[in-house]
Amino acid sequence: MSIMLNQLSVLVENKIGSLSKVTHILSENNINIRAIASFDSPEFTIMRMLVDDEQKAKDMLLKAGFMARLSEVLAVEIKDEPGSLDNILDIIASENLCLDYIYSFVYRDGKPPLMIIHVDDMDKAKKLLASHNIKVAD
Amino acid sequence: MIWAKEETLSRNEIEKIQLERLKATVKRVYEKVPLYREKMDKANIKPSDIKSLDDLKKLPFTYKQDLRDTYPFGMFTVPQKELVRVHASSGTTGKPTVVGYTKNDLKTWTELVSRLAVAGGASDEDIAQICFGYGMFTGALGLHYGLENIGATVLPTSTGNTQKQILYMKDFGTTLLVATPSYALHIAEVALSMGIDPKTDLNVKIGLFGSEGMTESMREEVYKLWGKDFLCTQNYGMSELIGPGVSGECPELCGMHINEDHFIAEVIDPQTGEVLPAGEKGELVVTCLTKEALPLIRYRTKDITRLMYEPCKCGRTTARMENISGRADDMLKIRGVNVFPSQIEEVLLQIEEIGPHYEIIVDRKNHLDTMEIKVELIDDSLLESYSALENLEKKIRGNLKTVLGLASTIKLVAPKTLPRFEGKAKRVTDLRKL
Repeated sequence: MSIMLNQLSVLVENKIGSLSKVTHILSENNINIRAIASFDSPEFTIMRMLVDDEQKAKDMLLKAGFMARLSEVLAVEIKDEPGSLDNILDIIASENLCLDYIYSFVYRDGKPPLMIIHVDDMDKAKKLLASHNIKVAD
Repeated sequence: MIWAKEETLSRNEIEKIQLERLKATVKRVYEKVPLYREKMDKANIKPSDIKSLDDLKKLPFTYKQDLRDTYPFGMFTVPQKELVRVHASSGTTGKPTVVGYTKNDLKTWTELVSRLAVAGGASDEDIAQICFGYGMFTGALGLHYGLENIGATVLPTSTGNTQKQILYMKDFGTTLLVATPSYALHIAEVALSMGIDPKTDLNVKIGLFGSEGMTESMREEVYKLWGKDFLCTQNYGMSELIGPGVSGECPELCGMHINEDHFIAEVIDPQTGEVLPAGEKGELVVTCLTKEALPLIRYRTKDITRLMYEPCKCGRTTARMENISGRADDMLKIRGVNVFPSQIEEVLLQIEEIGPHYEIIVDRKNHLDTMEIKVELIDDSLLESYSALENLEKKIRGNLKTVLGLASTIKLVAPKTLPRFEGKAKRVTDLRKL
């Protein structure tokens, strides 16, 4: 069983303060960020987030001139113990799915950590993980 | 259809006419215009030194600044009494450029526009709607007289009120549109928004476009909106030379035929002033051969083109000039390569994922010129993966390299973050301290 979450992707330039411009807009609109990923790149990067009101967040960012997009990602629940991520990645690779990116969602009020993943064939991944009894968050 | 026999003369015949008229014109400006006498004396050349067309290159250039310095009528060769019309350019910077016409000049002008209209497919069957601003600008009245002269029915609708323009077009059965190519695109878009499809609901089959250059990608856009069989030609001119009527395309669309019995065209290196061989790209320089009121000698148009002398399939033997590919003022020299922003624009317009706005930043790092181009992303599906963004960047860089022969860096920015311009766009920033 897996669920799809709506992830918010924002294009940000590699400039001092550019991420904070995004978080500032979210904070002003009382939007809570649940997970975030952004990595070093030379010119620009894609800031990926899970927020509590993604449609509002997207609208506000577009209004402020950012390029933002919503897309579905899988949220997979993993056990907080050695080997659990390895197991999931192994399942994905065994079916020749290409993993585009992965990031984690840790603080959840005592609930187990989540891994946010995006692969080239999301529907296939969803079925695959469910068939392996990988628990997916709600 | 070819309007005048002068469009099909042999090279020898054309050159004979040109030389005779050049001699007379040089003599006249030397006698009548103090500025020309001064320039020629300084260059140590007399009208009698012009013995062949090759001697043209000995004559000094005329610049737009000369017209400004002698504002308003200082370069006219006739007294005001003989002028029957005065036009002026908008003059975005400084004073307008003023030009004048005698009765004969108007006749010549009408004749030359008739030629380009016929070359562009016009005939006495046409209902021609002129969507150029009437007034001091030469475009509207130039086309107006030329089209009337060939017997077309002229609708002088001028610019603005696009919905009204479309109403006339539909109700009067307009068959020919005179406009800038961008206004033609705008009209089509407005028509579509009114539920009128220009391809099927309007009868416009011919476009005579001018007053701004039309790139091939704009022409493709025109076909998309007005239909594949829409005959869209562009023509070239500038008020200093006569207005529209210097040259125009024929249905072969392989360059604009220059009216060589009235103008001599040269292409020069804009930096050295040296005349370039046929086929090489440089600044167009034009000498008026028959103008009475304002015959300019070797006028620096600042427009970049190249000349082709092979006779055209249409039957005309006149030299052709390629679509204007930039302004000499805009030319950048990057690592010794001549680069025109228009070339960059052409490449960018063909890439769907990015918008039409761009900014070019030229700098020098470690004694090497660098060129960075900022473009706006418009396709948000690229945010799905970083590699899609990288591939797009690579594609733009690759296409630019093919066209310019130069490496560049591409900076993708969010939509609507690059500056917008209402008038003349300033898209190049040169940070080099040369």
